[in-house]
Amino acid sequence: MPGSKLGLLKLETLARLEETALSTWMRESGFAFFSALTVHSLAMAFVVGINFAIALRLVGFAPRLEIAALSRFYSLHWYAAVFIFISGMALLLAYPAKALTNPVFYLKLAALTLGLLISRHFQATFFDRPKVTNDRRTINLAYVSVLLWVVTLTAGRFLAYTHNTLLASRYF
Amino acid sequence: MIEILLSFSQATGIYSFMNSPWGWPVAESIHFFGLCLLVGTVGLFDLRMMGFAKEISLADLHRLVPAGVAGYSLNVVTGIMFLSTAPDQYIYNPAVQSKFFFMLIAGINMVFFYATTANEVKSGDAISRVLFRAKAIAAISLACWCAVIICGRLITYYRPPYHWCLWC
Repeated sequence: MPGSKLGLLKLETLARLEETALSTWMRESGFAFFSALTVHSLAMAFVVGINFAIALRLVGFAPRLEIAALSRFYSLHWYAAVFIFISGMALLLAYPAKALTNPVFYLKLAALTLGLLISRHFQATFFDRPKVTNDRRTINLAYVSVLLWVVTLTAGRFLAYTHNTLLASRYF
Repeated sequence: MIEILLSFSQATGIYSFMNSPWGWPVAESIHFFGLCLLVGTVGLFDLRMMGFAKEISLADLHRLVPAGVAGYSLNVVTGIMFLSTAPDQYIYNPAVQSKFFFMLIAGINMVFFYATTANEVKSGDAISRVLFRAKAIAAISLACWCAVIICGRLITYYRPPYHWCLWC
C-alpha cells in the first residue's frame, strides 16, 4: 500500500493536511498540544473509570449499590466522551499521517466505539429502572466492556511506539 | 540515590523488562489502567460527597473503594518500575516532583477524612458542618488526582537537566 499509487496519494493528502496553519499550530505550539493531550487523558480517565465502576457493580461488587442510581454518572460520562472526541480530533490534526497510517489507531477507534455503544446500552437498560436485575448476558457484556476499555487504553499508549510514518518532525 | 535505584532495578529484573521492546508501553498501559480504576471509584465517591448523584448511598458507593486501592497499588508498582529504570529522568524532573507533591496532599487529605469524617458521612447522619467538611475534603481529593494526571502528562515536557528542580 505505501508504495502503491493509492498509498502515495493518501500520503500526499496527509502531508497537505499537515501543512495547514491549524495543524502546524497544534504541533508546534507547546500549549495547544499539551492541553489537548491533558484534556484527552483526563476525559479518558473519567469515561473509563465510570465504565469500570459500573462493570464492577454488574459483575457482583458492592451488591447493595443500586445500578439505577449509579447510572446517574452516565451524564458526566457523556460530557467526558465529548471532550475525548474534541481533544482526539485536535491530536489527530497535529499528526494525521502518524495516526492514520497506523493500524493500532484503528484498533483504538474500534474498541472505543464499541465500548461507548455498550455504555449506551447499559444506560438505556438501567437508568431510572431500580427493579432490574443483572442476568448472565449483562454480566458477560460487563466483562466485554472492561476488555474493550483495556484495549482502548493499551492501544492509546502503544500509538506512540508503533507508528511507521512520521511526515512532520516533532517540535518537542 | 540514582545508583541505589538503578541497582535495585537491575537486581530485580525490572531494568531488563523495561528495556525490552514492549516493556515501557506495557507498564504505561497498566499505570493508566490503575489510574482509571482510582478515578472510577475514589473519584466517583468524591463527586458523590460533593453533591453529585444524591440518590446513591455513600456507604454503598464506598464499597467500590477497595478496587481504587487495587488501582493505586498498580500505580505504585509501575511507578517504581519507571523511577528505578530511569531515575535521572524522574527524580530531577519538576513535573514528577509536583506529581509527588499532589499525591502527598491527597494522602494527607485521605488520612484526615478517615480520621475525622468518614464514619459520620457513611452513617448518613452527617450534620451540615460535617457535610461542608466532607465536600471540602472531596474537592481537594478530586483536584489532587486530576493534578496528578496533568503532572504525569507533563513529565515528557520537563526532561532534566534543563529545568528547575528542588534538590538537584
